[in-house]
Amino acid sequence: MEQIRNFSIIAHIDHGKSTLADRFIQLCGALTDREMSEQVLDSMDLERERGITIKAQSVTLPYKARDGKTYKLNIIDTPGHVDFSYEVSRSLAACEGALLIVDAAQGVEAQSVANCLTAINLNLEVLPVLNKIDLPSAEPERVLQEIEEIIGLPADNTIQISAKTGQGVEDLLEQIVATIPPPRGNKDAPLKALIIDSWFDNYLGVVSLVKVVDGSLEPGKKMRVMSTGRDWLVDEVGVFTPKRKKCEQLGTGDVGYVIAGIKNINGAPVGDTLTLSERSAEKPLSGFQSVQPRVFSGLYPVDSSDYEAFREALSKLKLNDSALHYEPETSQALGFGFRCGFLGMLHMEIIQERLEREYDLNLITTAPTVVYEVKTTAGEVINVDNPSKLPPMDKINEIREPIIYADILLPADYLGNVIALCIEKRGIQKKLQYLGNQISLGFEMPLNEVVLDFFDRLKSASRGYASFDYHFIGFKASNLVKLDILINGECVDALSCIVHRSLADVRGRELVEKMKEFIPRQMYEVAVQAAIGSKIVARQTVKALRKNVTAKCYGGDITRKRKLLEKQKAGKKRMKQFGSIELPQEAFMAILHVGKDS
Amino acid sequence: MQRLLFGEFTRNYREGLYSPTPMTPLLTFHDNLPLSLYIHLPWCVRKCPYCDFNSHEGGQDETRQFEYIDALIRDLEQELPRIWGRRINTIFIGGGTPSLFSVKAMEQLMAGLRARLNFYPDIEITLEANPGTAESDKFKAFRALGINRLSIGVQSFNDARLQQLGRIHTASEAHAAIDLAQAAGFESLNTDLMYGLPEQSVADSLRDLEAAIAHEPSHLSRYQLTIEPNTVFYARPPKLPDDDVINKMQEAGDELMARQGYQQYEISAYARPDQQCLHNLNYWQFGDYLGLGAGAHGKLTDVSAGTVTRFARHRLPERYMQLAGTTDVITEKRQLYRIDLSLEFMMNALRLTQGVSPDLFRQRTGMPLSVIEAELKHAENKGMLTWDLATLKPTETGQRYLNDLLQNFMPESEAG
Repeated sequence: MEQIRNFSIIAHIDHGKSTLADRFIQLCGALTDREMSEQVLDSMDLERERGITIKAQSVTLPYKARDGKTYKLNIIDTPGHVDFSYEVSRSLAACEGALLIVDAAQGVEAQSVANCLTAINLNLEVLPVLNKIDLPSAEPERVLQEIEEIIGLPADNTIQISAKTGQGVEDLLEQIVATIPPPRGNKDAPLKALIIDSWFDNYLGVVSLVKVVDGSLEPGKKMRVMSTGRDWLVDEVGVFTPKRKKCEQLGTGDVGYVIAGIKNINGAPVGDTLTLSERSAEKPLSGFQSVQPRVFSGLYPVDSSDYEAFREALSKLKLNDSALHYEPETSQALGFGFRCGFLGMLHMEIIQERLEREYDLNLITTAPTVVYEVKTTAGEVINVDNPSKLPPMDKINEIREPIIYADILLPADYLGNVIALCIEKRGIQKKLQYLGNQISLGFEMPLNEVVLDFFDRLKSASRGYASFDYHFIGFKASNLVKLDILINGECVDALSCIVHRSLADVRGRELVEKMKEFIPRQMYEVAVQAAIGSKIVARQTVKALRKNVTAKCYGGDITRKRKLLEKQKAGKKRMKQFGSIELPQEAFMAILHVGKDS
Repeated sequence: MQRLLFGEFTRNYREGLYSPTPMTPLLTFHDNLPLSLYIHLPWCVRKCPYCDFNSHEGGQDETRQFEYIDALIRDLEQELPRIWGRRINTIFIGGGTPSLFSVKAMEQLMAGLRARLNFYPDIEITLEANPGTAESDKFKAFRALGINRLSIGVQSFNDARLQQLGRIHTASEAHAAIDLAQAAGFESLNTDLMYGLPEQSVADSLRDLEAAIAHEPSHLSRYQLTIEPNTVFYARPPKLPDDDVINKMQEAGDELMARQGYQQYEISAYARPDQQCLHNLNYWQFGDYLGLGAGAHGKLTDVSAGTVTRFARHRLPERYMQLAGTTDVITEKRQLYRIDLSLEFMMNALRLTQGVSPDLFRQRTGMPLSVIEAELKHAENKGMLTWDLATLKPTETGQRYLNDLLQNFMPESEAG
């Protein structure tokens, strides 16, 4: 146990976390160069493609230190995006230490600050590490000062490395061994193991990543899941090296996986405690807060006959993603579908992409919305996660919207732009603090405004330099109205959105303009109107296409014409039929593009 | 054969799960399909900036022309077994600029064809001509070779427009070419016109049409200029008139031609009574055709095997000439399955203003019309086509939005 080091790597997207993890794996000789496909830890295709980490993963590496002893390093990966910050706290709970990786050129980012504070609160030993020092634009002095001022970590011992070239990585490993404490636990006490993550594998059933806090776990023993009280026979335990490798046992302080023939992910809920049935622990570990979805949107199959396949796909995804919520929903316009709850916009995009890629589904997604608390005149409080379900205005006493606190870190040059943006998004400034070359801004903002396009707008307002983190603070009454969209005079429920009254007219105008851009010209004219109650606030018309026919046929070459037809048909794949007209997926998301160009 | 429930059989049959092999000829033809011959002569004096056809600059050298004709004949000989015993209905010599070829070269081509093929006595033989290559003696000699239809690529009678289109001829040369053709005895004569040209007004486009009609050709083809990939215009698009203006050109033009006795029978084709282009009609009625020459396409039905196959030949003239006479000249050979056949039949037949007899479907695809009954009903409900015992034809909306109509007949899986 003295030779175990459990730690996480905290880093902003692109600050080089995955590259560093790869370097560790190489240095410890866990994989041959041939096996080393770049960035081993991000195992989902989607993760690799987007360069982000979504699910927590771990890797166990043997490291022969300069003192001659061989240490067991358990690296527990953490996602770098705000949508998945709950996964970060899960990973951190299994560790005694954390590396804070900061890009020597870009400096400290809000995301890392938030995660770093979580780590400090969990009493983890945080080691600041300056990465990318090989870059010509690196400014180690300035960034070190930021680490001290913004996070409050003493930065004098900060190791400077380049994960890309490998410079300084060995020194870093030495420092990890020297500074991060070994796990504290009682190997003679009854077993207590914390479930960090569980996922469903088609061949193995549920695989759980656990940290053994006290005692030990081995195959053949009967283990008990403490929340359910159910017992399971342990089939296999082991570690990831990063390949799955069976072990004799998981001892106190170890991080590894358990397979016990559990067929349903709910059988081993994340945050739960495992113990042994013959000698069980008295009290479970404290576990984690369960996560609440914050962003909701309706997903509908373009072809209604795909509904069952869609339900199936969602239930499979849910197996590995406890944060995904869904329930059946019907839309007058889109038919049968599901209202899905997500952690944030990125989470939503990822789920949508996986559904389409892995399950080959063709979906229409409605614009994201948040959940509102509505107090009716009858005094009842209901939750509304779909704008079309908002009760009639005369039955509403008050609408409350979710408010978040946004932490923004940015270079001083962009302060004006960013404050203007936050105010446009109905933000209330709470904090402004100069920290070295960066400014820390605090704003209270409606989540509604944040889910729309705040991320993108913030990036463009600061040329990509601002970083952002948020947490939910509560519900607050606000003057909100429902904005309806009418297509050829008919209200399309799936296009309704809830907006602040002061912005309603402008949003309506911008929205119909965007919709006009996204709706292709077709056989019939399409009139797009925005309405608040019965009042029309804006109108645009997509003129009818005069004709759609290919004129020439060259020497009997029908293949080329067929290709053209196929292309046109493919373009229609993501279109939804409304009577005689067709709306593309983009039209449903038009609200996300409002105000982007202005 | 396996015993199948009728419903399942129909489903598999429709989805083409049974491949038509000689053992189980699921396509049933009662008779040979009419057969046409397309011959591609790929050379032009200059490539026009809007043209995406398989045409190449060069070919003015008579020795090359003879070599090319030799290659065509070699190519034909290799194909003869596939069309053994079948008579030729029509021949179309297209390009490129076929009129670029010398009389001697053309004579060799016609003699070579006659020696190897059996023509119907009233065969239609069309040659495409560019006004820039028109000569009185040449036209007379072509006519004497048995070529009985000339298609002249005029495009416009406005010098400024002709220049923008990169044409090698002027308006007065175009007038002269039509006169020469008529004097040479081409009673069956087509002029090609385009509309929707850069800077063209509705009145301009009608003036072009009037100028053509003044010569009283038996046939008019009128195309909208479209910008195609792999052309100069695609890389540097000219400014075209507004959609509404172009639409006006079409409507006013249709009206003018109808008034002058030219009846529209296909999207871009108009003819005096009984003067339709039989060669093109054969495409549109989904007949068979053998395509010879660089980049030529063909479609042949093997009645006894119950198969329909498409062929394409090597595009580059030099390569074609090297490979002609061997099977390597064929770059694509694709057997058509049921869903292809019904779509491709419709892609052609629904171009015809008057449509076709529903029975033609069975004759040309070897399948009963019931295999696309659901699709037909769907299109009918949308007001895109009408369908009874006598005719299957597109409505006016169906003609205007033909691509939308055709998508009904496409398999879902192909749209990826």
